[in-house]
Amino acid sequence: MGLEVDNLWVFEIAGFEIWITETIFNTWLIMLILIAIAIIARIKLQRFKEVPSGFQNVIEAIVETFDNFVSHTLGEKLSYIAPWFFMVFMFLLSSALISVFGVRAPTADWPTTFALAFVSLILMFFMGFKHRKGDYLRNFFEPHFVFFPMNLIGELSKPISLSFRLFGNMLSGTIILTLYYALTPFFVQIGIPALLHAFFDVVFGLLQTYIFVILSLMYIKGAAD
Amino acid sequence: MHSMIVLLAQNVPEGRVFGLDMQTIVSIGIQLFNGIILAVALSYILYKPVKEFMRKRTEKIQGKINDADSTMAKANELITEYDQKIKDINKERIEILEAARLEAADESKIILAEARKEAQAVKERSLESVSKERKRLQEESRLYIIELASLMAKEYISENIDDSAQEKIFEETLARLEDTQWQS
Repeated sequence: MGLEVDNLWVFEIAGFEIWITETIFNTWLIMLILIAIAIIARIKLQRFKEVPSGFQNVIEAIVETFDNFVSHTLGEKLSYIAPWFFMVFMFLLSSALISVFGVRAPTADWPTTFALAFVSLILMFFMGFKHRKGDYLRNFFEPHFVFFPMNLIGELSKPISLSFRLFGNMLSGTIILTLYYALTPFFVQIGIPALLHAFFDVVFGLLQTYIFVILSLMYIKGAAD
Repeated sequence: MHSMIVLLAQNVPEGRVFGLDMQTIVSIGIQLFNGIILAVALSYILYKPVKEFMRKRTEKIQGKINDADSTMAKANELITEYDQKIKDINKERIEILEAARLEAADESKIILAEARKEAQAVKERSLESVSKERKRLQEESRLYIIELASLMAKEYISENIDDSAQEKIFEETLARLEDTQWQS
């Protein structure tokens, strides 16, 4: 695993090159795993019992915990956007956990984190206009219309900071682990990296997933209320 | 216009950590598309069906709880009703017992009075019987005495006086005895 995001394939469409990067491929891999788990869960849902146990318990706990988390953070009126953030949560968590197996986390590449943060920005504007209408627009011109550029930059900087925070954290873990593997002798590469992976991938991954989701929800709620 | 897709396997550019160019925008677009696809898939395959399942289960359990509450309320009503009935029955039992006791007391008085009356009648009949028996015995005694006296007098008279004198004495004695009987 190197520091760079490798390009696996290059397509040319109408004379324009499209790079299929390691990040995109790993994203597809995660999508495949998540969709496969979802399909298995859906098949098993037919045999779900009233008193959950085993696999059913895990699936119900994930969905219920996340649903309660979104409902408490956003309130009932905005909870219909929960499915998007469920995907974000699952994807970010899977990205962090998959790097334990030596696969580069898609979130260690800025386009991934920005794509997710960009949707948060769109949702923020959409919810602001939908629920507050002119009042939301007026906020950009307060306390005086000359502050409009600063207010606009302030709003736009939210998803950018969100994306760079996640990208920086995940990349830092990748860099540290890459350096560790590159610079240390072979005999210290057994056992010890497990702790580093647990810390940088699992702990940081969980923490950053939570931070990304909660900040996105808070931004959207702030815009809508 | 080259609209065909060409795979440039031999000419793959070097990887990079970060860049701000057209390829970054393309990558953002692809990741955005991937995100939307994954969100739709997870939402329709997993999130919404599981939520629906849990919602239905919650409703079912809530329904059962409501039914149980309703049954409990009905049971409480029945308990109250039965308690009231038991109280009424106890009250009625006490009233019946009291009425029976009073009736028994009245009956007892009547029976006692009748028994006394009957005893009195028996007593009176006994006294009357005793009185009759006494009279009969007195009568028998008197007749026996008369007969005995007659025999003695007859013996005496036959030895000492003649028939006329005898007849006279007899008459006089009989007259005295009859007077005595009348007096007693």
